[in-house]
Amino acid sequence: MSLLEGLRFSRGTSPIHNLDPRVKFFMTVVLFAAAIMFLNLIPLLVILLVQVPLVVVGKIQREWAKTLKGGVFLAVIIFATNLLSFYFFRGRHLTSEMLEFALSLTLRFLVLITSFSIFFLTTSPDKLSLALEKARVPYEFNFAFITAIRFVPVLADEAQSIIDAQRSRGLELERGNFLARIRKYIPILLPLIINSIRRSLELAEAMESRAFGAAAKRTNLYELKMNRRDYAVLAVSALALTAALYIRFFTPPLGPVLPPFSIV
Amino acid sequence: MGIVEIRGLWYSYPNAPAPALRGLDLTVEAGEFVLLTGPSGCGKTTFCRCLNGLIPHFYNGELKGEVEVAGLSTRDHPTTELARHVGLIFQNPDNQIFALTVEKDVAFGLENLGVEKEEMLKAVDWAMSATGISDLRDRATHELSGGQKQRLAIASILAMRPKVLVLDEPTSFLDPVGAEQIFEVLNALNKEHGMTIILIEHRLDLAVRYADRVIVFAQGEIIDDGPPTEVFTAEETRLAGVGVPKIVALSNRLARRGITLEGPPLTADRFVEEIEKQLPKAGTPTPEKRAPPGLAELTGEHRGNPIIEVHDISYTYPRGVEALRGVSLTIHRGEFVAIMGENGAGKTTLVKHFNGLLKPQKGRVVVDGVDVSQVSVASLARKVGLVFQNPDDQLFSENVEEEIRFALRNFGFEREVIEKRVDWALNLLDIGRYRRSSPFILSGGERKRVALASVLAWDPEVVVLDEPTIGQDYAQKERLRHFLMQLRTQGKTTIIVTHDVEFVAECGPRIILMADGGIIADGPTERIMTDMDALKRASVSPPEITKVFSRLSRHGFPPDIIDVEEAAEVLHRRLREVTA
Repeated sequence: MSLLEGLRFSRGTSPIHNLDPRVKFFMTVVLFAAAIMFLNLIPLLVILLVQVPLVVVGKIQREWAKTLKGGVFLAVIIFATNLLSFYFFRGRHLTSEMLEFALSLTLRFLVLITSFSIFFLTTSPDKLSLALEKARVPYEFNFAFITAIRFVPVLADEAQSIIDAQRSRGLELERGNFLARIRKYIPILLPLIINSIRRSLELAEAMESRAFGAAAKRTNLYELKMNRRDYAVLAVSALALTAALYIRFFTPPLGPVLPPFSIV
Repeated sequence: MGIVEIRGLWYSYPNAPAPALRGLDLTVEAGEFVLLTGPSGCGKTTFCRCLNGLIPHFYNGELKGEVEVAGLSTRDHPTTELARHVGLIFQNPDNQIFALTVEKDVAFGLENLGVEKEEMLKAVDWAMSATGISDLRDRATHELSGGQKQRLAIASILAMRPKVLVLDEPTSFLDPVGAEQIFEVLNALNKEHGMTIILIEHRLDLAVRYADRVIVFAQGEIIDDGPPTEVFTAEETRLAGVGVPKIVALSNRLARRGITLEGPPLTADRFVEEIEKQLPKAGTPTPEKRAPPGLAELTGEHRGNPIIEVHDISYTYPRGVEALRGVSLTIHRGEFVAIMGENGAGKTTLVKHFNGLLKPQKGRVVVDGVDVSQVSVASLARKVGLVFQNPDDQLFSENVEEEIRFALRNFGFEREVIEKRVDWALNLLDIGRYRRSSPFILSGGERKRVALASVLAWDPEVVVLDEPTIGQDYAQKERLRHFLMQLRTQGKTTIIVTHDVEFVAECGPRIILMADGGIIADGPTERIMTDMDALKRASVSPPEITKVFSRLSRHGFPPDIIDVEEAAEVLHRRLREVTA
């Protein structure tokens, strides 16, 4: 699960945290697109080199490192399966190019998860919801999204209390065969579901009491406003995208091309 | 005309066999601080729902009569509109917080009302400073303590600038320190901003001093209404099963012995003043003989062998919270122990070590001669039965009988034995008539008893109850107290984790005080409850009677009196001497 650590927002202030979420999203998309366009070590390394300073400026090194650590297993699998498939389907011999491709694919994976990490680790759900609002997503959906995030820790605590209570009544989750073990989750899931239904009723009452849906046009405590830095990042991102497209389609390849596919 | 006007209010929930409210007539004037109390299920919550229009707009059912708040009929104005005039705050703080940061949550109501940003910021600032949470502005809501969350809930309602604040048992989930902060906030709002407060509470000892007026509900009717001293001396109140605040109870007992105090006083401070008035000005205090030792001290005599031994354990949660730091203690067979301290002191973490839910990271826990790190939770749970705070975290069966069978089956009892044990447990907790009912249709107090029965059924040697009095009314607490006494006479080792001082003072157990993950005091009730320094360090405020006697000790009274009856006796003897 530590791979998902990279998606959990960590509170903080940094120039990256303060970027307009829409601009940040565009930047992430550009990095993402560039990583998809190239399959050679050099351009992918360049993208990674662009990302590392962003991680450092955003002060998310530790979380990012955790994500990478969680991704190692998957990265090894990507590397191994690619190398093996190159070997078996492209001539039954290994070349240094094949090694480079396998490495590139692995690097691409790391670049992609880094892009996601930068975006999600530095964008508060509140800002994300604002961006969604600006994108004309109906407020009800937005509210549901924020509420879901809000109740993740509450539900986690509750699940732990339920597990503790049932284990105290002699429930042994780790014993028995597969089917028996699934059955053992009933005493945990039922209270969790029933409590959630009860909770939703209480939430609905509290929403009413807080005038939910009273005004036709809701206002917002926070507003999204692009400042100079946002425009600058937007411009640089657009430029980078153009450059990447140009290099990919209008210049000779930056390295070896995959050998033809053949099953011998 | 009052700010709240209620005329002939009847209400029945859909499909309910009987009405929840039966003909209420009530006027609340602007600026009043009303304390509303009554046994569980008496219609207090239903009444709250009527005040902000949740009834009839959110709940169907049958409504008769008129409810007007700030001149608006709740029938004609929806809850969302009434929100600007009357704010409703609920029991569970978690279920009324919607945003991820404090500031944003305070603004939620205003955003919904479409208030402009400038005005919104002003209201948010004001609401946060009125509740004392300005420094929490940018904090994530889930990181707050229970008390902070509840103050946030109040701020979020205040931001909409209502004229009336209605709070439905807002302190049930809080420790006494958190509860007192809430009451102080309400008091300031009432006194400084003239806000009308309608507070529903079971914690009368703490709340009564702030109220101008007390209303007692029973079975959907108002049975008493007036100034606190009148209401709590009235016969109706006692009959309704409402706990009378300790100081009032003491004054009542003195009055029965022919000593009337002016007021009569509601707080320990005022009570002491009144007593001092009747004491001779310069008389030499005759040292009082201490009454014979109570049950608590006697129980020390028939202590058995150690059953739980804790050797220098520490525990840190994965997120880095150091919950226990070097705790050692021994609990003997047959002892009755209360573990006290504020929320977060490490009480629950400690008892989770007793049945192996948590294994000590450092140190050793030995239960009945077995090291807990060596054995499974299930085998320990057989010896140490843990009953958690919230019964809803464990009930899941189709009927009460099945619920009780669950653990017995897990422990592999024979079929016949299981049936015998089920009957025994049902009888013990007096829930036999619900044996085929679904546990979910029972009331909160009944669900709690089912949870207790489902643990006691396997007759564990040690019973641990985590916060058994939370959300319980006076009668339920009394029943629990009798039940605990019963366990005690049977020689069962009983441990309660609680921050309910008055309850503990009445039970008289060995008290273990915890603060910051360590034990700071351990001894019999009389000693710990009068150890003002230790209590202060543990953020536990002493019982009301003890407060009185610790202050009266300068006149030669014994400082270690905690029982109301004993207190009345001692005071009576002394004051009679004076008048004679």
